[in-house]
Amino acid sequence: MSVSEITLAEGKATNRRGAEFRRGLAAATPMLLGIIPYALVLGAQAAQRGLSVLEVPLMTGLNFAGGSEFAAIQLWTSPPHILLIAAITLLVNSRHFLMGAALAPFIRHLPNRQVFPALFLMCDESWAVGLADAQRRAAAGARPAFSLAFYLGAGLAVYLAWVAFTTCGAALGPVLGDVETYGFAMAFPAVFLVLLRGMWKGFAASRPWLVSLAVAALTYLLVPGAWYVAAGALSGLVAAWFLAGET
Amino acid sequence: MIDPMTALAILAMAGVTYLTRIGGYVVLKNRALSPRATAVMEAAPGCVLISVIAPDFVSRNPADLAALAITVLAATRLSMLPTVVIGVASAGALRWLIG
Repeated sequence: MSVSEITLAEGKATNRRGAEFRRGLAAATPMLLGIIPYALVLGAQAAQRGLSVLEVPLMTGLNFAGGSEFAAIQLWTSPPHILLIAAITLLVNSRHFLMGAALAPFIRHLPNRQVFPALFLMCDESWAVGLADAQRRAAAGARPAFSLAFYLGAGLAVYLAWVAFTTCGAALGPVLGDVETYGFAMAFPAVFLVLLRGMWKGFAASRPWLVSLAVAALTYLLVPGAWYVAAGALSGLVAAWFLAGET
Repeated sequence: MIDPMTALAILAMAGVTYLTRIGGYVVLKNRALSPRATAVMEAAPGCVLISVIAPDFVSRNPADLAALAITVLAATRLSMLPTVVIGVASAGALRWLIG
């Protein structure tokens, strides 16, 4: 290969990565409709609890996990109880262990210098679209199935929106009032339901999901706090374990 | 503008969260799973997703439950953006109608 051919090939690879990155941004766009109102609410609540307009982006930018931030803000005192907040964060985010494990077969060929920064951007949304995309490409025979640029595009869009709009929420908090009343809360289940449909492989394969749904809903009703995510997810896994032994 | 105790709590959160993000990958990176464990891992993403939204299925607000039913129906046949728009619009409208 001559020098100009190498430059050409590199140029093509860059173009492809650019196109994949933009495809990721586009995939994340409908989700921003759900994320932005949540971000504004979180920022406003955090400001109410006494966090400053600098402390809010420090939290949402370094932690970048909305569920744990909502939980932490509910428990925030002055000064904050660090151990309690760390424990609640671990509990709410324990689902990340499962998410990372599900992603592992698709990303294990990547070098550490790409994997570890990429995992920082793993949130519910970027993980779900990244995994669904990899599963679709794997079924179509694409190698490698996982498109890092697509995943980074989706993750970065969510990250920037989350940090920017939680900061706006902290600054505008008192003006906004209760954003929850407008129905934007439904965007979150809507996104998840479409993603679930994408993962649907027939009723039999989805029985663990029903176990998760039932246990999580019951736990939510009976046990205060964020236990319902861990309880629902784990009971679904146990059900999957027993159902897999059946065949 | 940044209180040291607040910064410490935030750093603790960020550290814990990043460990949860890399933990599952690090543990499973170099391991081949048994067929049974593979079946469990295949069910895992759906179990996590549905557990996160489970509270919406037992909402005490009839408007939200009706909107969720509409959203479930939309999700079975439409793509992401129309489903989100229908979900948000029906929740907003039904809350306004039946509060």
